Amino acid sequence: MGLRTGNRKGGKAQNLIPQLSIDLCKKLLSDLEKGKRPVLHATKCALDNAIYNHKVGYLTPGNKKVATELNVSSVKKMSRAVFMLEILLRNIETGAVNTKRELYYISKGEIKGTPMLKPLDFTDQPESDDTIDFICELLESYREDMNCYANDRGGQTYSQQLVVTETLPDGDIATIDLSMLGTSPFQPKNRPQNLRLTAKKKIDFALIVESEGTANTLVANGFTKRNNCILMGSQGVPSNAVRGWSKLIQDHLKIPLYFFGDLDAYTMQNIYRTLKAGSAASLIRNQDYSAPDVRFLGVLPEDIKKYDLFDYPVRENDAQEMRSLKKADDALKNDPFFHDKKNKGVADILRWLLKNKRRCEQQAFFSVNPKDPTMPEKIILDKIKRGDFV
Amino acid sequence: MSDKKISSSSTAEYFSKNLQQVGFSSPTKAVLTTLKEAVDNALDACEEHGLAPEIKVEIERLGPGSIKNSERIRVVVDDNGPGIEADDLTKVFGEYLASSKFGRGRCTRGQQGIGISAATTWAQLTCAQGAKVTSKTKAMRKAVSGMVEVDIKNNKGVIKNRETFEWDRPSGTRVEFVFDGRIQVNGEAGILNYLLGTSLVNPHLTLHYRLPEQEWQKSPRVTSTLPVIPEATEPHPHTMKLGEFIAHSHLFGKVKVSGWLKKGFSRISDQVMNEMAKEPKNGLAKGIFDKNVDQLADGDFTKLFTAIQNTELKPPSTTSVLSIGEDAMSKSIQRIGKVDFFSVVTRKPTICDFKPVQVEVAIARLEERASEGDSPVQVLRFANRVPLQFDKSACAIVQAITSVNWRAYGLGQPKDALPQGPYIFAVSVVSPFIKFKNASKETIDASDELVEEIRRTLMQAGQKLSRYIKAEDKANDLEEKIRYIEQFGPILVEGLARITSAKEDQKIRAREGLMKILGRDANEAKNQVSEANRKLEIQKSKDVTEEEVEE
Repeated sequence: MGLRTGNRKGGKAQNLIPQLSIDLCKKLLSDLEKGKRPVLHATKCALDNAIYNHKVGYLTPGNKKVATELNVSSVKKMSRAVFMLEILLRNIETGAVNTKRELYYISKGEIKGTPMLKPLDFTDQPESDDTIDFICELLESYREDMNCYANDRGGQTYSQQLVVTETLPDGDIATIDLSMLGTSPFQPKNRPQNLRLTAKKKIDFALIVESEGTANTLVANGFTKRNNCILMGSQGVPSNAVRGWSKLIQDHLKIPLYFFGDLDAYTMQNIYRTLKAGSAASLIRNQDYSAPDVRFLGVLPEDIKKYDLFDYPVRENDAQEMRSLKKADDALKNDPFFHDKKNKGVADILRWLLKNKRRCEQQAFFSVNPKDPTMPEKIILDKIKRGDFV
Repeated sequence: MSDKKISSSSTAEYFSKNLQQVGFSSPTKAVLTTLKEAVDNALDACEEHGLAPEIKVEIERLGPGSIKNSERIRVVVDDNGPGIEADDLTKVFGEYLASSKFGRGRCTRGQQGIGISAATTWAQLTCAQGAKVTSKTKAMRKAVSGMVEVDIKNNKGVIKNRETFEWDRPSGTRVEFVFDGRIQVNGEAGILNYLLGTSLVNPHLTLHYRLPEQEWQKSPRVTSTLPVIPEATEPHPHTMKLGEFIAHSHLFGKVKVSGWLKKGFSRISDQVMNEMAKEPKNGLAKGIFDKNVDQLADGDFTKLFTAIQNTELKPPSTTSVLSIGEDAMSKSIQRIGKVDFFSVVTRKPTICDFKPVQVEVAIARLEERASEGDSPVQVLRFANRVPLQFDKSACAIVQAITSVNWRAYGLGQPKDALPQGPYIFAVSVVSPFIKFKNASKETIDASDELVEEIRRTLMQAGQKLSRYIKAEDKANDLEEKIRYIEQFGPILVEGLARITSAKEDQKIRAREGLMKILGRDANEAKNQVSEANRKLEIQKSKDVTEEEVEE
């Protein structure tokens, strides 16, 4: 395996994890031998420990650590962490891969077979998830590096020019020419580090579309035939697969990336910001899971007037959108991403949303000329050409 | 004009038609009210004469009753009190509003002289026989017995089958009612709850009782000290209405107004009268205070009354209220069952709504109810030491309990509801002028001031209680900590040793080190337990003082 060596600013590479773990456990053990109370330091993954610098491009962790001292209250948490770490290290050693839910059941199985471990038993999955997250924070690693993967959701990609080369766990190489897939998309994996991207022909841009359905429609209507591009559906909040994949496209192909989504608070904060700069919860891995070059193509507030789009007021009973508006207010105050002057355009959109309490969906572009199915494509290309994005 | 004659009816006639107003609104209530009235009278009489009460209560089912859904019930209440003179028997049991206590402003249980006559009436209406009474005073050579009935037309008592006989005691009264009713033993409105409550707030009472199909039970007194019923103080003028004020003057007659005001009321002094005379707004005639009371015209009374109402007076004195006392309650509470721990608070008498009031609270956790963690606490309400068992939610006491945040003291409590757990909350309100919501004295009127006073008492009791709960929590905490150390210590060391391939001696040292570290935590917890217990001991030593206990 050993895909990445060297110490990244964010997470530690997988090949370092076993030794890091052993060192950590040795330190714990030697503290105990001396009768000294061990203290574990984990990076605090929260907004108040997030730093944003537009030159870096993504949210990075500050100096805040969460210290867990071994005492009667934390002995259970630490025992569980050591227990789960053993399982994860075994997975790294054998190359086995699991989801969080599978790890929950694996731990249940271990405990069932060893009565002494009974007190560690997890009553439900959130308890074992917390333990896995705690280990990641201690080792400053991604769970993917611990061979713990989430379901690969979203990121279906279409292109007539892109070729993906994948290194398989057994060392074999697979080459995928996306133009050979017909109308089927390429589905990126949670470990984009195994992939290499090349272009058969010059690719002009990548378009990431919030709605999976709209991405499909654009492809079906010939978008990728007419344009030298990569077109991807993000399927709502971008998964790690989508984030890592976008970063890969940015780094390997060095092409402009545009995000096309709804004009609402949820899209701005939860989807676009995560795609561009990562999230506070994943501070230690934003480096590999964000694409700082991505730009917000629309829907922009001025598009409503320009294209006479259908927009509508946010309904009071739309709990999600009302919550997002409230969060948008917090974000403008506390989120370093929106504070940065380079992101003033995005912050201005949030302010506009808060002030006007209206939203406009990306599908509204279909209302501009109902008889012309390629109208949205025309608008998108027009916007790119004129630099009409944030 | 209609040609129907307008007639006046007697008090007895009125009550006989309106017995629901005085506690006879259902067969179940009839039993409880009859019992309550007889026991109240017995206790009041004993206390009045400085006798330690010993009361026997017997309740029996005799067969089906004449009214729907009822049984024929026999209730006997037998006391060792001073007894009733033969000539007074008809007045006590057969005449309405014939009371030695009416409007005296003292903290007695009975006030108006309605209750027991109503019980006689109920028996008469449902079973055609009145109250079978036996009584003897010390002065009487023999006891007298007979059947007392109410002459409803004339509000007079009559006695039938009167006879005298030798009785086995120097004095006492025994009254027996046979009537239609229904017996409810358990539950909030049950007889057992009544007896439990009565023994709780009457620590000086020895109570024997026998419920249907059960053996005799005895609950001996826990103190021989009798409560001292303070003398009534003169009425406070701010609690009076104009009519009462004028009527009050008739008791005085040829006395100077100044004398009447000073002697007949509390809180009126020469200084107060001077102030009233000087105040031009009052418009009092010159020399009005030197006139004789019977010389005053109606207009003078009105002016005088208004002037007094407009003058600031000291609040009434609180010396007329009576308290059970924390010591006596602490002992008495042990009578209601196996008590884990308890907390009692007697507040200083105070003024609520211009009336003297004293509130006392006892909270106890019962061992036998340990499993009832989620059910609401049991509330025992008392007004002038009489248990209140109906219409709980409207009562000042219940409103005060629900207004307190019991979670702060370690009890469970849903929002705006009674707290939960195996506790008994006994709240006693004593006042010569308790404001009830109705004539059957079931609910104390929830005025803001009274609710606030009760609430404060409850909070004090809650603070004391929380010391017990905290001490217990700390002890549980310690146990939990020790259990944690024993369980997780070895698991943690084994896990670390496997990952680091540690040697056996390292493992042993680490395990010892871990135990040392966690042991320090446990020691800390142990210290907390000792500290909590120490605080509790200080509280206990403050609560309980020595007192001679009889029996």
